[in-house]
Amino acid sequence: MRYYWLGSLLASLTSACSTASPERVQETTPIHIRWANDPVALDPLAIPNQNASDAASLLHLGLLQVDYQANVYAPALAERLPGVQLIGDSLMRLDYQLRPAATWDDGRPVLATDVDFTLKLIQCPGLPYEVARTQFSFIRQLLPDPTNPRHFTLVCRGQGRELINTSGDFPILPENALDAQHTLRPLPLAMLQGWHPDKAPPAVVAALVSRYKQANSARYPSHLPGCGPYRLAEWVHNRHLLFQRKAHWWADDLRPAPFVLQARAQLLDYIIMPDDAAAVLALRRRELDVFPRMPASLFQRLQTSAAARKELAFYTNPSYDLISVGFNTRRALLNNKLTRQALGRLLDPAGLLTATQLGQGSLTVGLVPPDSQFYNDSLPALAYDPTQTLALLHQAGWQKQSNGSWYHSIIAQPLALTLRYRSDESAFATIALQFQAAAAKLGIPVKVLPLEASALTVALKAGDFDMYIRTIKGTPFGFNFSPLLHTNAIGMDNFTGFGRPATDQLLEDISIEGNLPRKRRLLRHFQVLIREEMPLVPLFYLANRLSASRQLRPIIASGLKPGYASGALSWASGSANVAIP
Amino acid sequence: MKLARRTPYHANYWLATSWLVLLLVVGLLAPWLLLPYPAATPDLLHMATPPSPLHYLGTDPLGRDVLAGLVAGAQRLVLLSLPAVGLATLVGAIAGSAAGFWGNKQLRLPLASAGWLLAAGWWLATLPARAAVVSILLVISILFSWLSSRQAVGSSRRTFPLPLDSLVLGATALLGAVPRLILLVALAAGPPLSFVQLLSLLALVAWPETARLVRAQMLRVRVQPFMEAARASGLPAWHIWLHHALPHACLPLFSFAPLTLAGLVGLENTLAFLGIGQAPDQVSWGSMLTTVRQDPNAWWVVAAPGLALLCTLLALQHLAQALNKRFNAG
Repeated sequence: MRYYWLGSLLASLTSACSTASPERVQETTPIHIRWANDPVALDPLAIPNQNASDAASLLHLGLLQVDYQANVYAPALAERLPGVQLIGDSLMRLDYQLRPAATWDDGRPVLATDVDFTLKLIQCPGLPYEVARTQFSFIRQLLPDPTNPRHFTLVCRGQGRELINTSGDFPILPENALDAQHTLRPLPLAMLQGWHPDKAPPAVVAALVSRYKQANSARYPSHLPGCGPYRLAEWVHNRHLLFQRKAHWWADDLRPAPFVLQARAQLLDYIIMPDDAAAVLALRRRELDVFPRMPASLFQRLQTSAAARKELAFYTNPSYDLISVGFNTRRALLNNKLTRQALGRLLDPAGLLTATQLGQGSLTVGLVPPDSQFYNDSLPALAYDPTQTLALLHQAGWQKQSNGSWYHSIIAQPLALTLRYRSDESAFATIALQFQAAAAKLGIPVKVLPLEASALTVALKAGDFDMYIRTIKGTPFGFNFSPLLHTNAIGMDNFTGFGRPATDQLLEDISIEGNLPRKRRLLRHFQVLIREEMPLVPLFYLANRLSASRQLRPIIASGLKPGYASGALSWASGSANVAIP
Repeated sequence: MKLARRTPYHANYWLATSWLVLLLVVGLLAPWLLLPYPAATPDLLHMATPPSPLHYLGTDPLGRDVLAGLVAGAQRLVLLSLPAVGLATLVGAIAGSAAGFWGNKQLRLPLASAGWLLAAGWWLATLPARAAVVSILLVISILFSWLSSRQAVGSSRRTFPLPLDSLVLGATALLGAVPRLILLVALAAGPPLSFVQLLSLLALVAWPETARLVRAQMLRVRVQPFMEAARASGLPAWHIWLHHALPHACLPLFSFAPLTLAGLVGLENTLAFLGIGQAPDQVSWGSMLTTVRQDPNAWWVVAAPGLALLCTLLALQHLAQALNKRFNAG
């Protein structure tokens, strides 16, 4: 009998163990998110890559933030969306009111002077903010309200709808922490914007720049206090970044809490795993909880696995990321549009979309997403057409030699190309091989040169390429193509070197146009122009694929980068597994 | 010194030799083989498809035909690894035998040629390493030494001993201090290498072992009675080294060269597997193996190149063993 009871006890213990609920998670358990590479630098005003942008949005807040639930801009530090007052046909005033609850970590309120300081800091000569400088140069002045330190008006050049969103989409930095003497206040913003790069900056600016550089906030973000919900607890280069929720964050007191000001997770741990297959393995072993931007083949494989479906939830959205092939129009052999058109017809966008994305994504005729009201559907999709290539090459003046190569007697060069792309993207390798094979059939040698991401950026900025493959990151909020194709952006993001006064004017008109029919006309014309000039060949828009642990609450997935609302990430309370429809 | 008694070859030897001959033939005839697909051309409609009548050995996740990749890998072995072994063996044999033969004191150069040697060393150390310039300086130095030895009068008779043994041992120790793969990864990291650059790198990491082996053999050879006899007959040192010592010191290389080749094939494919210094249009067995990371279910991507690599390494091992038995038995 004694053995019977002992046996029963063991049996019940065993069964209790075997039927125990799956490993439960606590609120303080970090949520592990996969990043493919290190953010490199965390200066919120000089964002080198998407991961740095994601990190900056945890540490800092702007006046407006993207609401990933509705895919719109929503007020963050601002109390509401700005009031808009159009002045004449080229100026606009945006009226902002800051939230009374918004404070820095030391309890000081976030004021209009902080916004003014940030705008001036962006324009300070000597700081590496060229991209932000170009992006926010349309804000000409900040008019403070003498009666209300949280109220101010931005005077903007242009009247485009996207300018309203952009006017609030930069992180606000604390004036007191960086410029306690308020030395920038007397300097007008327009004066800093018009400062000639070769001219020595004013003494106060030079001193501020020196202090700012010494703080090295790119490497030590804690030197630059933010009013975002998280602080960086740990950063091990190329390993992980751990963000810890602030115990007392000003937005916690807001009722109801706006979606963009939610930060549910206590710890967000971004694990850097360059290899996709290793990341999938980690996801299956629960070492990762969120895997955004998953390659199509791996995503499909997981979706078809019954075991994976039990543990993981899957999300797909159309994204605004466009894979494109660019030409270096500064090179003599590529400065003729007919040559570019000829080479563009050696790419097979439809085949490549099927091959690399399993058909998930959408072909496009230009830089505007196909689902946009501004998409020019009258243009035919670009297709692989070697016959047309031959005709265009002859029109461009290329002559086939007896040895099978092509030669241009005027520029006295053979047609031979180098194609650069990021080595960690297998889709780019397939595109490069397809183009190389198609070109080889016609006797055009193409040298493919994969490079590590930062080395590629250096090569592209230096113009050391004939062609490149890269992803252009877009948004549904606006159509500002100046950073890509304006002559002012040559040496920065305009890698193609394309641009003429007329095209510059068109880009500027598009970015500031507020009238919808006129904007549609301009954008349709722009798409025709890009097809005609072909400084780059838009191939297809990608789909955003995300897989996450079912132990998390349902993810708010979005086509916008990073592909999910990080503020809404949290463990499901009460149960280890959450049913996802 | 005479060759060891000949022993009959084992069946494994013939199997190994047959495989290697097949590889050699396929590698040499690769441009003329009627393959349905080029190695580096993706089939966009058949990405990572298993073996089928369309693609006999399937396609990898980049859409490349696996059979064409196998042939390209064989071609790479013949055109890259084999010449690299030849170059490494040549350099290693010359350096090792010279070091073993002359030691640190017996090779004396005219003092005047030291200037040219120092100039070459300085150029190599401080200025952009132009191989052509350094080679010209070395050739001038050698010519100067030769002319000086013929027309030596007065101060030109002064010579200095070249510490050849220490120099060669130092170089082999320096290269041997770092594991070969790490050394190669460090040197090959960055933009894809050209064919000649990769060949030179492989030879660079492979020659020290050959040099050490030949040097050790030369230390035994140089005290043999026939060497004493050659010296006594008044033959010049370089003549004794080239015609009498070197052939005997190089005998172990018959069995060592296949092992060196096996090492380099493994090393080159490891580099390709890691994707270092190679573009995707340079198809090799290693570069095909690495694509399985993009689709772990694609077993055929591992099977064919993996099997080819395994068979090649085993065949080279067997060949080395058989040659070793044949030349060193008894």
